[in-house]
Amino acid sequence: MVELTGIHYRPGSSVLHWLDVRMKLALLAVFSAACLHVSGAGLLLLGLPLLAAVLIRRGVPSFHSWELRWLGLLLALVLVARAVSTEGTTVLSLGTISASREGLVDGMKVCLRLILVFLMGSLFVASTRPGDVKAGVQWFLKPLPLVPAERTATMLGLILRFIPLIFEEVSRTTDAQRARAVENRRNPVYRMVTFGIPLLRRIFETSDRLVLAMEARCYTESRTGPELKAGRRHWAALAAGGGWLALILVV
Amino acid sequence: MPAIIQVENLVHRFADGTVGLDRVSLDVVEGTFVILAGANGSGKTTLLRHLNGLLRPTSGTVRVGGVAVQKDPLRARTLVGMMFQDADSQIVGETVYADVAFGPENLKLGRAEIDRRVQEALEVTGLVHLAEKRPHLLSGGEKRRLAIAGILAMQPRVIVFDEPFSNLDYPGVRQVLEQILKLHRSGQTIVLTTHDLEKVLAHADRLVFMRGGKIECDGPPPALVAGSEAYGVKCPMVVGRGVEALSWLN
Repeated sequence: MVELTGIHYRPGSSVLHWLDVRMKLALLAVFSAACLHVSGAGLLLLGLPLLAAVLIRRGVPSFHSWELRWLGLLLALVLVARAVSTEGTTVLSLGTISASREGLVDGMKVCLRLILVFLMGSLFVASTRPGDVKAGVQWFLKPLPLVPAERTATMLGLILRFIPLIFEEVSRTTDAQRARAVENRRNPVYRMVTFGIPLLRRIFETSDRLVLAMEARCYTESRTGPELKAGRRHWAALAAGGGWLALILVV
Repeated sequence: MPAIIQVENLVHRFADGTVGLDRVSLDVVEGTFVILAGANGSGKTTLLRHLNGLLRPTSGTVRVGGVAVQKDPLRARTLVGMMFQDADSQIVGETVYADVAFGPENLKLGRAEIDRRVQEALEVTGLVHLAEKRPHLLSGGEKRRLAIAGILAMQPRVIVFDEPFSNLDYPGVRQVLEQILKLHRSGQTIVLTTHDLEKVLAHADRLVFMRGGKIECDGPPPALVAGSEAYGVKCPMVVGRGVEALSWLN
């Protein structure tokens, strides 16, 4: 079987791999908040370590350009929407629609924020076992009253487990339809229906089989979870990461 | 020797009214190797799913280790490990190690015991060197061995295999067959379904033919194999040679 998608856990020995999941979740939350608050140089500073990680490729997911087409489309839509909806100096006009310089700059900032959050999220997923994610989420939710921490964390863990299976089904269904020349049909509604219905059916069948397999292995919500340990080097890494984010936020 | 599995007058009717199993009775003695053979739709998989409580009987009883499965399905699942036909959909872990640990974690064992069991299961199945690999990237034979490791880590007394050789190439079949025989030699009870007797018959103690949700005949393989085509299963016998000559490991 081929690689299912670029976004999945990859075993490794990078800092992100050994860092305690709770600290990673905390850093991810602060990083995402920082992305929303800073602009210009702050955004570039936030992006530098990620860029370095991508360049040296330590535990970083690799994406095929085809996998990123939807992200590219989303970014293009955001950029265009910002450019045409923000008032300012016109740099391009087509009939009644005009794009402003301020809108373009603003759109690029939003796109950069989205790219940074996407990259950070991908790094998190690539360096964290789904079992650890579940344990981390459960740890954060436990003190909250009226929140079923175990169940919520289990649902999250299951979603992460099921994503590769959905991608696999999408790939199989696409291949099966291409093999029967679906590309000759130009009607998008026809293609959506003939793709969507069998895909959904197959996803439900696969999820049924997964449920049976899990049940056969005595699945329970209150299973033994991974041991969460935070030693000195974890705290040091958290301090370094937190300090860097705080500095960017303050400056 | 007492039977570890006792099935009595088991009837299973599906939601649409189709009868999947029709008054099936079967005892499996501990330590034996039983093959359930029959054409597609004969009821083999349905019967297997009753052995660890994945299906509930319409009527009749299934006992594992003397206790009705319906009464305590969790106990039945601990005693009867099941390997599904589609190894891919049985994979739940993000690495080989995590997948094997899934069962013992559900049994709420301590982390040290889980690690010990996983290590042992990986050693038995020869997957230690793949422990950190993503299961979805394994070969067909390796995936089946992973499924076996996942079951072994739960230390069941019976392992049921649902068509373990389907979609496997020749080396894959040999790998899985060797694994099954190793388990049987170590005293494990094996129940295996197949419609391809040739690959495994030489090693079984007992052959059971199913048709239309019923057990049609049951006995030692040499005595029954000649009539296999009457049950929709290709007769593997080479004229003039015994069942023993059939092994794919020769």
